[in-house]
Amino acid sequence: MLPSSRSLLLTATFLLVALWARWGFLAADFENEIQPLLTRYGCNSGGCHGKASGQNGFKLSLFGFDTQADYEEIVFRGRGRRVNVAIPERSLLLLKSVGAVPHGGGTRFAPTSEAYQVLKQWISDGAPPASPSAPRLVSIRIEPSERSLYSGEQVNLRVMASYSDHQERDVTKQAAYASNIDVVASVNEEGIVTAGKESGEATVMARFMGEVAVFTAILPHGAPLSHIDNFTPRNYIDELSVDKWKKLGLTPTPLCDDATFIRRVTLDANGRLPTAEEVREFLADQNPNKRAECIDRLLDSPEYASYFALRWGSILRNSNLAGADQASYAFHNWLKDMLARNRRYDEFVRGIVAASGEWQDAPAINWYWQSRDDPLHQVTADTAQVFLGQRLQCARCHHHPYERWSQDDYYGLAGFFTRLGRKSFGQPPPYFASANVTTGERNPRTGKVPEPKYLSGDSATFSAEEDPRHGLVDWMAKPENPFFAKSLVNRLWGHFFGRGLVHEVDDMRATNPASNPQLLDALAKDFIEHQFDMKHMCRLMLNSNVYQLGSEPTDGNKKDRQNFARYYGRRMIAEVFLDSVDQATGAKTKFNGVASSARAVDLPHENFGSYFLDTFDRPRRVTGCECERSSGATLAQVLTLANSDDIENKIGDGQGVVARLLKDQKSHEEIVDELYLGSLSRFPTADEKNKTKYFVDAVENKTEAYQDLLWTLLNSREFMFNH
Amino acid sequence: MLEIQGVGEGTHSHSTATEKRRGASGVSRRTLLQIGTLGGVGFAGLSLVDLLRMQAAAQEPDNAKRNKSVILVWLAGGPSHLDMYDLKPQAPAEIRGEFRPIETNVSGIQISEHLPHQARIMDKLAIVRSAFHTNAGHGMGSQWMLTGYQPTIEVNDNIYPSCGSVVAKMKGANEPGLPAYVNLPRLLPLGKAAYLGASYNPFSPESDPNQDSFAVRNLKLPGSVPIARLDRRRVLLGELDQLRRDIDNKGDLVGLDKFYRDAMEMVTNDKAQTAFAIQKEPATLRDKYGRNDLGQSCLLARRLVEAGVTFVTIQAGGGWDTHGDNFKQLKDNLLPKYDQAVAALVQDLHDRGRAEDVLVVSFGEFGRTPKINGGAGRDHWPGAMSILYAGGGLKMGQAIGGTNAQAEYPTSKPYSVGCVLSTIYHCLGIDHKHIFYDPANRPLPILNEGEPIAELV
Repeated sequence: MLPSSRSLLLTATFLLVALWARWGFLAADFENEIQPLLTRYGCNSGGCHGKASGQNGFKLSLFGFDTQADYEEIVFRGRGRRVNVAIPERSLLLLKSVGAVPHGGGTRFAPTSEAYQVLKQWISDGAPPASPSAPRLVSIRIEPSERSLYSGEQVNLRVMASYSDHQERDVTKQAAYASNIDVVASVNEEGIVTAGKESGEATVMARFMGEVAVFTAILPHGAPLSHIDNFTPRNYIDELSVDKWKKLGLTPTPLCDDATFIRRVTLDANGRLPTAEEVREFLADQNPNKRAECIDRLLDSPEYASYFALRWGSILRNSNLAGADQASYAFHNWLKDMLARNRRYDEFVRGIVAASGEWQDAPAINWYWQSRDDPLHQVTADTAQVFLGQRLQCARCHHHPYERWSQDDYYGLAGFFTRLGRKSFGQPPPYFASANVTTGERNPRTGKVPEPKYLSGDSATFSAEEDPRHGLVDWMAKPENPFFAKSLVNRLWGHFFGRGLVHEVDDMRATNPASNPQLLDALAKDFIEHQFDMKHMCRLMLNSNVYQLGSEPTDGNKKDRQNFARYYGRRMIAEVFLDSVDQATGAKTKFNGVASSARAVDLPHENFGSYFLDTFDRPRRVTGCECERSSGATLAQVLTLANSDDIENKIGDGQGVVARLLKDQKSHEEIVDELYLGSLSRFPTADEKNKTKYFVDAVENKTEAYQDLLWTLLNSREFMFNH
Repeated sequence: MLEIQGVGEGTHSHSTATEKRRGASGVSRRTLLQIGTLGGVGFAGLSLVDLLRMQAAAQEPDNAKRNKSVILVWLAGGPSHLDMYDLKPQAPAEIRGEFRPIETNVSGIQISEHLPHQARIMDKLAIVRSAFHTNAGHGMGSQWMLTGYQPTIEVNDNIYPSCGSVVAKMKGANEPGLPAYVNLPRLLPLGKAAYLGASYNPFSPESDPNQDSFAVRNLKLPGSVPIARLDRRRVLLGELDQLRRDIDNKGDLVGLDKFYRDAMEMVTNDKAQTAFAIQKEPATLRDKYGRNDLGQSCLLARRLVEAGVTFVTIQAGGGWDTHGDNFKQLKDNLLPKYDQAVAALVQDLHDRGRAEDVLVVSFGEFGRTPKINGGAGRDHWPGAMSILYAGGGLKMGQAIGGTNAQAEYPTSKPYSVGCVLSTIYHCLGIDHKHIFYDPANRPLPILNEGEPIAELV
């Protein structure tokens, strides 16, 4: 119980405040002035009061995106002790912030600081709520937006905020800053960027009231170049890459040789090693256009479709779980068929996102079925991530911390799926667009059933007869859609070049910009102009000289990690690797339940038992993220390759490559050539010929000697890696 | 006046909580670890973390913590708390079931008549009867118990890192040349590293240590490859494998080289071979553990942690999912093996003076329904479950918490999954609030709730 004198005092104060407010004396607006301070000093960050459960009973919305809730929390909750209008300096908000009373978060600012003065003034003004008539923030920008720096150099950033009344305000002091690579460029809380010791590019993000803007710091790897000597552009990919290399002072590694090329392109486009015969033919071919012809051949081969069906099947969760055994075969075959016929990408996506009916007719409903336990959220998040390159999951529970996505955006996308129904029979059951809402999910902010709203911000309405999902795909496929085309070209780029122009490939946002935005834009434009022709994009990328660069770093590019001045090598993925081992040894792995000719890349789902595939991280198809394929090495992988009966049996197989070559009484030179061509896709060098000759001569049992050589080739990094 | 007092109160409890949280592991160590991990991109980063960890350990008075290890006996399927550690003899027949409680060597603590071996060493055990969660699905419940996070969907693989993988990442193996995290006898579903990366996945022999033919998968040389032949192959590999190690941009090639050296050392060196050589144990001791997969896995786990493995998860057979014939299954098949194996393991660790260094813990994904179903079985019940702890420096000889008359819900000391797991991390000296980042770059602490069980630590 409060003493009555105090209530009187409070009442009097509120009356005064109300009068002041009416007279327009209030300077500090809660949303425009106070929230930015709470954000800037970390009060509402995820580690403090901004986390979902709050901190020690005081809970703010993450980064202050929910003004109304935060206002109530500060002014009305906590037994009213957080603000004390009568004696502002006794407000818990101030006492805690300056560390005058113990505070788990320590001292945030000093009593002499401007922040303290602003807060104190706001409290003594009666701690008024945000005024509905105050101008609201529209966007922010950073000046400058990009700068080349030398190590140690500093730049003072300036952050300008535009408001709904067309006023601009300098919010440099109120904005919060973060750099994505501190060693290249760091930033302090004043917005001063300091170039670090490492060369490269860093993105510095400024965040203010839910808006973000970025500054790009470029620390050239070498002196900027006026032209690149050893490189001839073949298409716009090459030209736009050259522009970037010049700016960064990068020189590309020379083009790879023909043997490396055919191995690389066969692995990347068809998911397999070239055969020894293919390598021989290609190397012997004198046609100057042979690389382009080879690319055409590979893209027209059914193995192109098989390989990309595997890649799509993994991120589209095509699994045989929950009775979907037959459906998983059907979905896999559907993917393969769409890819083989090179159907427009928007049609491909429509077949998945708007799939309805029975699985026999619309196998892609297995995508929905594999999200059966969390149907609305998982489908919403996957749609955003897989087809729009947006990771929207954060916004399910709170405003995305690094992007403009709010909970309303998330639930707007979810709104396209709220009428999706499924029958109660069949595995998967038939899916259909119901006339009524089928989900019990609500937007937690509004408490309402999510209603469709495009990520562009426009609302959409559909009649009961319409399937909103078709409307969603229509919107995706519009030429002006800023996400759809970019997302696919970036995914393809990541596939062929070992890293997306935006990395990760499905995390495209303002604060994670492309390493070459002009190139990404050009590719997306081209894709749209070519009616979403996926093979056209593949052909273009594979024919670029950037793709055909060697993988060995040179002095001119050894620090390059994201500008593709050389080809970035990577370990083969599990399925391709097993097929490659099979092919190099001539001893094929058999899988239960599929044709004996089926390779690992042909398997429709993940539940075909294989110790090898599991050991090499075949994805379990539990996420829509490419990142589910882990590339890290493990003990078990090495033991499998170097010390297993499985591999030993393949090497020693009676029908295997060594047995066959010896049976055919090939010469030593022929045998060594064949083993090299079959595994490393090249002829041995003179040095290797000497070493292998010396080795084989020294071993009495020649069969064992050649088996040893094959073991050595399989265990070499050159074999395991696509380079 | 009133107001200021209020402020004082609130902040007082706040600061105490903060101090408590910082506790024994110390701020400096935790901060160092965090700094290390932030910089820990790629392989060079790992060694930085190691360096910081060593520095931190040097500052820490309790250096022994570094060599602590954990053996988790995982009762897949969901063990029946009512028939093991939380009997309700006063409950109606359709709830209490067939089994009777018996006295243990700690007065006042009773457990099932089918756990006689454990009853005799109750002073070396501690039971928590009041653990609970809220998910009754095998997959989701298992993920929750093994990772500390409740997944939102039933899937093949754990979405969050398993406890063993976290330990592998945070501590590594106690002894180089051995894996940090082992699953016995086979790889455990849902026991992987998730976003920590494949390098922290468990290693497994994939072979039953109760079989004469027991051998760690791919650890022994294949029959056709004597050591001399492996040696000459490795020489040839060294000469021919000239691919540069800097052609990728993720550090995978360098990492691979390290695993190659470790793996070859495991194959050619005695350390790992010996650790897995359960055949070297005296027959009488092997008998004591029980001549079955669980008994011998427990014995092998003891050998492994002694050699320097940090975390072993044992899959205690299947069959704990006793929807039908619960009592017959338990008394004829499951409990005798389990009772004998765990009691032998705990006793053996005591006999060898290792009980304080090795934490043995046992649980499944949930308890079972108090009400017996039409098929004399019990169904899934996450509302209450019992957890067994032994050793690891925890306080033994107690039964903690209690459930209501039907063993449905905790009535005292309710402990969440985070409490169960943070107690394990506590024994290992791992800060369970340490933050990892998932692929969406979300900061995810090792555990997002729960503190070590106060009665145990």
